[in-house]
Amino acid sequence: MREEIISLKNEAIAQIMETSSISELENLRIIYSGRNGKLTSLIKKLKEFPKDKRKQVGILINETKNSLNQIISSQKNKLSSSSRKWFDPTIPGIKPKLGNLHLVTKAIREISLIFEKIGFVRVRYPEVEWGYFAFEALNMPKTHPARDEWETFFVDSKLNSKFGQTVLTPHTSSGQVREMLRVKTPPIRMINIAKCYRRQSDVSHTQMFHQFEGLVIDKDISIINLKGTLDYFAKNFFGNKRKTRLRPYDFRFTEPSFEVDISCDICNGKGCKLCKEGWLELGGAGMVHPNVLKAGKIDPKKYSGFAFGWGVERTYMMKSGIKIPDIRFLYSSDLNILKQY
Amino acid sequence: MDILIPNSWLKEFLETNATPKNIARFLSLSGPSVEKISKDGDDSIYHTEITTNRVDAVSVYGFAREASAILPRFGKKAKLLPLKFKSKYNFFDKVDYLDVEVDSKLCTRFTAVLINDVKIKDSPQFIKEKLIKIELRPINNIIDISNYIMHELGQPLHTFDYDKIKGSKMILRESKKGEKITTLDNKTFTLPGGDIVIEDGEKRLIDLCGIMGGKNSMVDKNTKNVLLFVQTYNPVKIRKTSMTLAQKSEASILFEKDLDEELVSTAMKRSIDLFEKITEGKSENLILDIYPNPYKIKSVKTNLSFINKSLGENLNKEDISNSLTPLGFKSKWQKDNLTLEVPSFRAKDIDIPEDIVEEVARIYGYYNLQSKLMKGRLPEKLFNSPFDFENKLKDVLSGFGGVEIYTYSLVPETFIENSALKLKNPLGKDTEYLRNTMLSSIKDAAIKNSGYEEPFHIFEIANIYIPQKQNLPNEKMMLAGIFSKYDFSKAKGTIEALLEKIKKDYSFEIEEKKEFLPNHRLKIMNGKNEIGEFGTLEKNDLIYYEFDIRLLQKLGNKLKGFKNPPKYPAQIEDLTFSFPERTKIGKVIDSIKNLDKQIAKIELIDTFKNSFTFRIWYQNPNKTLTNKDVESIRKKVISNLSSKFGANIK
Repeated sequence: MREEIISLKNEAIAQIMETSSISELENLRIIYSGRNGKLTSLIKKLKEFPKDKRKQVGILINETKNSLNQIISSQKNKLSSSSRKWFDPTIPGIKPKLGNLHLVTKAIREISLIFEKIGFVRVRYPEVEWGYFAFEALNMPKTHPARDEWETFFVDSKLNSKFGQTVLTPHTSSGQVREMLRVKTPPIRMINIAKCYRRQSDVSHTQMFHQFEGLVIDKDISIINLKGTLDYFAKNFFGNKRKTRLRPYDFRFTEPSFEVDISCDICNGKGCKLCKEGWLELGGAGMVHPNVLKAGKIDPKKYSGFAFGWGVERTYMMKSGIKIPDIRFLYSSDLNILKQY
Repeated sequence: MDILIPNSWLKEFLETNATPKNIARFLSLSGPSVEKISKDGDDSIYHTEITTNRVDAVSVYGFAREASAILPRFGKKAKLLPLKFKSKYNFFDKVDYLDVEVDSKLCTRFTAVLINDVKIKDSPQFIKEKLIKIELRPINNIIDISNYIMHELGQPLHTFDYDKIKGSKMILRESKKGEKITTLDNKTFTLPGGDIVIEDGEKRLIDLCGIMGGKNSMVDKNTKNVLLFVQTYNPVKIRKTSMTLAQKSEASILFEKDLDEELVSTAMKRSIDLFEKITEGKSENLILDIYPNPYKIKSVKTNLSFINKSLGENLNKEDISNSLTPLGFKSKWQKDNLTLEVPSFRAKDIDIPEDIVEEVARIYGYYNLQSKLMKGRLPEKLFNSPFDFENKLKDVLSGFGGVEIYTYSLVPETFIENSALKLKNPLGKDTEYLRNTMLSSIKDAAIKNSGYEEPFHIFEIANIYIPQKQNLPNEKMMLAGIFSKYDFSKAKGTIEALLEKIKKDYSFEIEEKKEFLPNHRLKIMNGKNEIGEFGTLEKNDLIYYEFDIRLLQKLGNKLKGFKNPPKYPAQIEDLTFSFPERTKIGKVIDSIKNLDKQIAKIELIDTFKNSFTFRIWYQNPNKTLTNKDVESIRKKVISNLSSKFGANIK
């Protein structure tokens, strides 16, 4: 038996070395080690051997099979390399033109995705808005000094007897009462992302910018839900290690009102040059004022809610450490800048 | 409102074992926000920001009161020390040294006292030092006392040279339009009317109340007798005057926040003490005090369950009272119902149960509250939301090499067409109008990038604003873009590919328009509706396109139900024709398409001078086409092109 195997091996090697094409080689492979090949049928015969020899012969057949396979593949290489042409794979690829989405688009997408996962509905409300929705409906009567802080642009147009002046909305909060009027019966989980305008322009302000506004109204909504939502956002947007905290603040349209801080990622909350004692200001938030619910025709005795409204650009800058020295660059349309992000 | 509080001054009213760092940190968490601490020798200065509703805390004393309520929650001892006064004071609504008429709608509390025989000189060192720490320049004892008291208590005061008030008479009234006053900084104002002013016995205006005193009644170096003046004014009037005259002062900022009338007498007593001590003057016995509606204790009602529901916590009545008492509130419980008596200095800020919740929560500590997402039903999604569609457009275009830009919606007059909305208060001429077309903005962006060495494609999705009568403008969401240094067919192909990618039917029609090269502009149609435009601009070698996105989203979808893939293979062949000059190849292709149903597809694959090579797919859904079948269709094509366009097959 042993001799039979060895002579089969020698015969096979001789034939393999003489092949001159890949198809010829493939034929030989089938003849020897194919499913019905010579070696394979030897294996099938193994049963006929006495038990003590069976193992030895088995090993020999396997070794033969392996070495034949090796020889076949090295012959294959030889055959194909002889037909190989000169080719240089180090040549650079030809790229399709690389397009790019604007940083603000990327930020908006990330933000809305995070909120949509917990049931928020994305909406958009007018950029050119009635003073009523920007202020009065938000518990800011005409003479209130709080209005000054918004640095509002006014449109040169006639006063509307019902809704007052036409303004460029200085915040996405103008959408709060519009959303209440649209949905009518809570639950409301709104994420309103839109352009806003304020009369200021310097390295950290542009006259046009973007805000995202969250509004949640339902039965039994409390401060802990606001905290829960902010923590959820902060962890998903900024990373698991970041924490948020609330500090007292004052907005006319929320009561209580908060300033929201996030722990500084540079110093991990220990305090450094870039932060205030380990914290960075994110933006405002609060529990919706009952007068605002009333303006939205929602009964404050039955329902309560919270809201927050932050700058898209500002929040995104705090995330990624994209250090744009002058925020106005974002709106400069300069391809050399835009293509970096 | 920002205020500087030196730690040494704070300690005059606050007994505590808290360090300045503690104070800054703990107050920021629960009350006034200390933005930073600066050092002045051994002293620490708190740079503090106080929200506009908390004018009661915009003073050293008010800050101390907040600290006394907040610090104990953090395990620090803190005790508010009472203000001390020297002697007894008699407030009375009539005095013999001044005859006044006061409109109490304008001035809710009016107090004044005559201080005789003052000596005007430098202030003593302890006053000067404090003023310097709060970044004020000491001037003389009279002015310094005013600043000192205002900073310490948050109540502005004013001083007149008593002998300059003609007839010892004052009438506090609303100004009439056009009246003039020269203030002590030597500026003359013509008043808009409705401002709070005082005239004297000779009908001269001697004070623009709450804003600045009149020059004709000011204290100067020869002044002997000073009329000390402490008031609260109608905040709306003060604000209006301050805004229309563009005059802001620390005093006007305080007055327009609606000050506590009860603080007036405190400030008056403090001032008299300081005047007597520092100017050697002697105060009259009777202080004039016109205060027709003194503070009646205000109560706000709520209950335990409301507070706990709002906080999502389970506080007991004692916890709640303990938070509120140090802030000056008195809580009275009847079972679970709370009646809260509001101190005068918080009366204008605390109105509703939610206000009480805020006070409890901030003193209890927001950081102590739990953090939990809400439960409950989810709202319905918007059907056909515009955002997914816009995102799709952006993805496709950027995938095809487009770079997204954001340009300002506020533009100069040269950027608009016809009538556009104009701003009343623009920051400049460059941003005076709301754009009603995208073309100018995108063109401007392209020209700004003309130094960019490679061909580029920029695009933007943004609103334009179309004015509407008696309504807000129509905000139309547009997609607009420009190809620079692009081959016409490559640019057009990008737009065709976009429309195919979003599965919209489209066709083109030539239409001329201003700003485009003649015969270089196409209307993009969906059936009979125009959805956009595409064409070469007159200047700068730019190809512009735009779409009305809402129309695009709404209109004809290419998806028309399932079609079986063809069972029988197509025969494909390339045919080359030469055409006379000025043949419109788009028309040729349309013509071939419509010639025979068995022409499944046609593409232009090559051009050379006047020769055009088309690849044609012949296909029949019911059988495999024979060479003979194909030949007969081909003949139709050749004869059609020859007769219709004068084309020759090559």
